[in-house]
Amino acid sequence: MATAVRIKAVYNHLDCLLTGIDRLKREGYTGFDVQAPLPRHEIEEIMYEGKPSPVRWWTMTGAIIGLCAGFGITSLTHSAWPMINPGGKPTVAPVPFAVIMFEATILVGALFTGLGMIIHCGLPAFFIDKSLQDPRMTDSSFGITFTKANAAQQEAIIDLLSKSGAVEVTTGDDTFYEVPNA
Amino acid sequence: MAKVEVIDPNDPGKPNRPATYGETNRDIIRVLLTPSVGYFAAVLLSMVAMAIGGWAWYQQITWGMGVAGITHPTMWGVYIVTFVFWVGIGHAGTLISAILYLVRSRWRTGVYRASEAMTVFAVMTALLFPVLHLGRCWQAYWFFPYPNQRQLWLNFKSPLMWDVFAISTYFTVSVVFFYVGLVPDIAVFRDHSRGLVKKFYGLLAFGWRGTHRQWHHYMAAYGFFAAFAAPLVLSVHSVVSWDFAMAPTPGWHSTIFPPYFVAGAIFSGCAMVISLLMPMSYLFDWHKYVNTWHYENLAKMCLLTSGILTYAYGMEYFVSWYSQNPYEQSIFLWRADPSADYGWAFYLMVFCNCVAPLAWYSKKLRTNHISLFIVAAIINVGMWFERFNIIVSSLAHNFDPATWWYYWPSTVEWGVLIGSAGWFFFWFLLFVKSFPAIAITEIKEMVEPPVKGSL
Repeated sequence: MATAVRIKAVYNHLDCLLTGIDRLKREGYTGFDVQAPLPRHEIEEIMYEGKPSPVRWWTMTGAIIGLCAGFGITSLTHSAWPMINPGGKPTVAPVPFAVIMFEATILVGALFTGLGMIIHCGLPAFFIDKSLQDPRMTDSSFGITFTKANAAQQEAIIDLLSKSGAVEVTTGDDTFYEVPNA
Repeated sequence: MAKVEVIDPNDPGKPNRPATYGETNRDIIRVLLTPSVGYFAAVLLSMVAMAIGGWAWYQQITWGMGVAGITHPTMWGVYIVTFVFWVGIGHAGTLISAILYLVRSRWRTGVYRASEAMTVFAVMTALLFPVLHLGRCWQAYWFFPYPNQRQLWLNFKSPLMWDVFAISTYFTVSVVFFYVGLVPDIAVFRDHSRGLVKKFYGLLAFGWRGTHRQWHHYMAAYGFFAAFAAPLVLSVHSVVSWDFAMAPTPGWHSTIFPPYFVAGAIFSGCAMVISLLMPMSYLFDWHKYVNTWHYENLAKMCLLTSGILTYAYGMEYFVSWYSQNPYEQSIFLWRADPSADYGWAFYLMVFCNCVAPLAWYSKKLRTNHISLFIVAAIINVGMWFERFNIIVSSLAHNFDPATWWYYWPSTVEWGVLIGSAGWFFFWFLLFVKSFPAIAITEIKEMVEPPVKGSL
C-alpha cells in the first residue's frame, strides 16, 4: 500500500493559484483542498465547473416542511378547539392562516439552509487536518493542500506546484505558521 | 483556465478600500485593542439607563400594572409605541444586508455588519415589550403554542398572534443570517489572537478554514438566506401594521398601513444606522471603511422613504375626507388640531419626518457629518412620535365621546423607555468592541486581487 504524505503550497497571487489548480487538474490529480481568505468565483468555477451546491435541496425541503407545518399547526389546533370563530371565519381559515404558513416556510427553510450549510461545509471543523490550520489563509495568502497525497507522486506534485508560482511548498507536519504582526 | 476578474476602475467604492487583504484584517482587528475613555463612558451611560429601566420594571412587578399610565380606553401606550419603534429600527439592518446584497449594491459593504447587529439588538429590545406589557411577565410562554391538558390553543386568526410568529421568525432568521456572515470574520480574529481569546474566537468560528468546499456551500447558503430575509423584511412590519389595521378603530383601519409602516421602518432604521455608525467611526477610526459615501447613500434612502411617509400622511387625510366616514374624519381633524391633546405630537411628527429630512436634498448638507448626525437624531425622535400619534390618539379619542381620555406616560413607563435604549446600546457597544463590526471578507472582495501577471 502506498504511503500518504502531506503537501502544501502557499501562493501570494491569485493567478498563480489558478494556474496551479489548472495544472493539477490537467495532470489528473484529485483530493486536494484550495484555501482562500475570501470567496473568489474563479476558484469556484475551476473547482466545481458550474456544479451547484446541494444546499439548495436543504432549502427547498425545509421550506416545504415549514409550509406544511404552518398549515398543520394552525388547522389542527383550531380543529381541536373549534369555538374560536372570529368574524364568522371558518374553523380552518386559509387566509389568516396564510400569514403563519408564510412565516413557518421562511423559518424552517432558513434553519434547514443553515443545517445543510453546516453539514456540507464540514463544520464544526475543529479537528480538520493540521496542514489546513494555517492562519495565513484567513489573512492574505492562498493555498493548495494535499492532506493524503500518494508518496510516489510527491516529487511530481511538488515540482508542479513550485513551477506554478507557489512561494512556499512544504511536506509533512511542519506546517504551523503565525500571521505577521498578529 | 479561469481568468482573474479585476474591479471596474469606475467603481464608486474605489477610494473606500484598502490596498491589500492583510491591511483589511489589521485595520479591523484594531478594535480589540484597549478602548478609549469615550467607549467606557458610553458603556457606563448605557448601564445607568438599563438600571433605570430595571428599577421601573421592578416597580411594575411589585405594584402591578397600575403604576404604568395605561388605562381604559388607552390600553396601548408607551410600551406598544416603543415596541413598534424598535421593530422599525430593526428593519434597516436586514434590508441593507439582504435586499442590497441581492441587488449587488456596493456601498452596503462597509455598513451592513453593524446594521445587522443593530437589527438583532433592536429586535431583542422590541421583544421585551410584549413581555413588559403583559404585566404578569412570568406567563409570557402563553404566547407560544404548547401542548396542554385542556387543549387550549392560540388564536391564529388574530393579528396579534401573527405578530408573535412574524417577530420570532424575523429574529431567528436575522440571528442566523448575522451569525453565518460573521463566521469567516471571526476566524480572522481567531488567527490574529493568542491564548484564551484565540480559543474563544476559535470556538465561535466553528473551525472555519476557508477551504474551497466551505466557500462553495457557504456562498450558496448565504444567497438563500438573503432570499429568505428579503421578503421577511417587507412582511414583518406589514404584520405589525395589521395589529392596528385589522381593528375597526378610527385612524387605524386602513389598507395603506402595511406599505406606510414598512417605509417608516426603513426610514427610521437608516437614520439609526447613521446615528450609530458615525460616532463608532470616529471612536474606532473606521473612516476608510465607513465614510461620507455610505452616509450619503443612507441619507438618500431616508429621503426616499421620507417622501413615501409624507405621501402616506397626506393620503390618510384624503381617504378620511373621501370616505365621508364621520369617525375617520373626526379623528384625523382632532389629531391635526393644534389645541387638541396631542396636536403638538402631530406637528412634531410632521416636522421631524417630513420637513427636517428635506435638508438632505442639499448635497452640501447631505455630506456634512454634523448635519447628517443632527437630522438622523431628529428622524429617530419623529418616528417614535409617529407611533405615539397613531396608537395613543386613536385610542384616546375613539367612537364614544364618553370614553375619551387624556393619556400621559407615567414615570415607570418613561423609565422603561430609557431602559430599553440602554439595553440596546449596551449590546451594540459590546458587539462593536468584541466582534468584526465591519465585514472583513466582503471588504476584501472590494480589494484588487493580488496578481503576478506573467508565469
